[in-house]
Amino acid sequence: MSASLARLRRNWKGYLFLIPVFAVLASFKFIPFFDALRMSMYDWNGANVKSYVGLANFKELVRDATFLDSLGNVAGFTFAAVIIQLIVPLIAAVLVFHVTNRKLQQFFKVWFVVPLVIPSIIVFLTWQWIFAGEYGVLNEFLKVVGLESWTHAWLGESKTAFTSIVFVNFPWIGGINFLLYLAGLMTISGELFEVAKLDGMNAWQRFKHIELPLVRSQIKLILVLTLINQIQSFENVLVLTNGGPGTSTMTPALYLYIQGFSYSRLGYASAIGVTLFAAVLLLTWVNQRFIRDTDKID
Amino acid sequence: MTDRKTSWGVYAGLVFLLVLTLFPFYMLLISSFKHFDQMILEFWTPSFPLHGDNYASAFRQIAPFIWNTVFISSCIVVGVIIISSLAAYSFVRFDYPGKNALFLLILSLMMIPGFLLLIPQFMLVQKLDMLNTYQGQIFPPMAFGASMATFLMRAFFEGIPKSLLDAADTEGASEWRIYASIVMPLSLPVIATVAILNFLAGWNNYIWPLVATTGDSVKPVILALSTVTGTLDQGISVKLAGYVISSLPLLAFFFLATKPFISGITSGAVKG
Repeated sequence: MSASLARLRRNWKGYLFLIPVFAVLASFKFIPFFDALRMSMYDWNGANVKSYVGLANFKELVRDATFLDSLGNVAGFTFAAVIIQLIVPLIAAVLVFHVTNRKLQQFFKVWFVVPLVIPSIIVFLTWQWIFAGEYGVLNEFLKVVGLESWTHAWLGESKTAFTSIVFVNFPWIGGINFLLYLAGLMTISGELFEVAKLDGMNAWQRFKHIELPLVRSQIKLILVLTLINQIQSFENVLVLTNGGPGTSTMTPALYLYIQGFSYSRLGYASAIGVTLFAAVLLLTWVNQRFIRDTDKID
Repeated sequence: MTDRKTSWGVYAGLVFLLVLTLFPFYMLLISSFKHFDQMILEFWTPSFPLHGDNYASAFRQIAPFIWNTVFISSCIVVGVIIISSLAAYSFVRFDYPGKNALFLLILSLMMIPGFLLLIPQFMLVQKLDMLNTYQGQIFPPMAFGASMATFLMRAFFEGIPKSLLDAADTEGASEWRIYASIVMPLSLPVIATVAILNFLAGWNNYIWPLVATTGDSVKPVILALSTVTGTLDQGISVKLAGYVISSLPLLAFFFLATKPFISGITSGAVKG
């Protein structure tokens, strides 16, 4: 006990240095977090109506058709995103990795990343212009190559809206996952490549036996990041379609936003938030548990 | 890295992918200089004369909002650097009961997703009368950046030789002096990383300003983009010019400081 006390007496200043960060975190993260948990069990419109309803919000949520649609959509978006992010940026990274000229390699690396630097909303607005029904870039392109019958109001038709959103940022390389894969490839020991050359491996064999297994850490990280990102972010859908047409592109996070800010159903929106949060925790745990890290592979 | 000469197949593939990647932005750029008639007649190529009046018009419309964004993002950066470096210093320099638990607490807050906090933060900011104020635009994003920043700073500070700090201590320097005159100047790399991460985040912030501001007083440029208009002659190109203008600061930043930029982005993605 006195050892602890002695520690305290010598080190109490440490607490002082922590005060600023905890002041900000407590006010703007901690307290809102518990508020969200609490709010999910109330029926509240932010002004006068505020009554405790227990689990009623959750019960309603399970039977809410829009919410269920949104779950299906986010599952679809996530599935597509995961497949895409595990393949396309990796291929690009491998290609860039094998450029022998240092300057050229840096050139490619820098220019592939440019879309990441441009504010994301501007990227979405640009793609909104590409997908526009009238004079949109995609439709103009189809007209030029003689496929005018294929033109659509891409974001305005329920059959095409979902896929259009998936195709935003095609070819999906300009992003952080590309950089992560590249960083991972660069940590592979040069010796392994020497051995591969001596063994006469061709490019595909080299990819399958050396490069792919040794970027497993990056793959796992990117899997988690993609999952979390898909579930959390709804700016793209908000800007491009606002969940429509109908509910064809509605996602749970967007639904939360609409319920909270358009309908003022703050308790219900919080219930959506809590449910999503639980889902994210579950998925992260599954990812941690079942996918091995590179450092654990010999 | 092999010393084989790169096959032309690799180059062809890369050039093709790069062209696809940059094509939308090429279209954005060339179209922003056109008037409506040029858009119809010459859609795919740059069209002369280049109409700078699109840019003049767009700039006039969004200039005050650019200032807002710059101011808000800068304050977020300064704020995050201060609070997280102080905290990191505490974790590295002192040993007090509960130290590890407190650090874990800060880290665990990173797990909380933004959408969960959106509504309670809004209610809180409303209660504190901070809607439509700069403070309301600065403090919540600061909270979002603080956990990662503290983690990064602590990792860096631990690399500073303890002997250096102890020597200053025996010379009678106060903890504050050691922090300000020794640790911080030595930490420019991690400070740059944190600055870039948070400046980017601040500039990109869309949902929070959308929700916590009305009217024009503290509106950031990102919200103003959809309201930019042009004359009938100019068409939508004025709006496109607005997009380009709003991207320029970040792009300039990127090309001037590419290495720290890239390392900043990647360290921000790797959670503890």
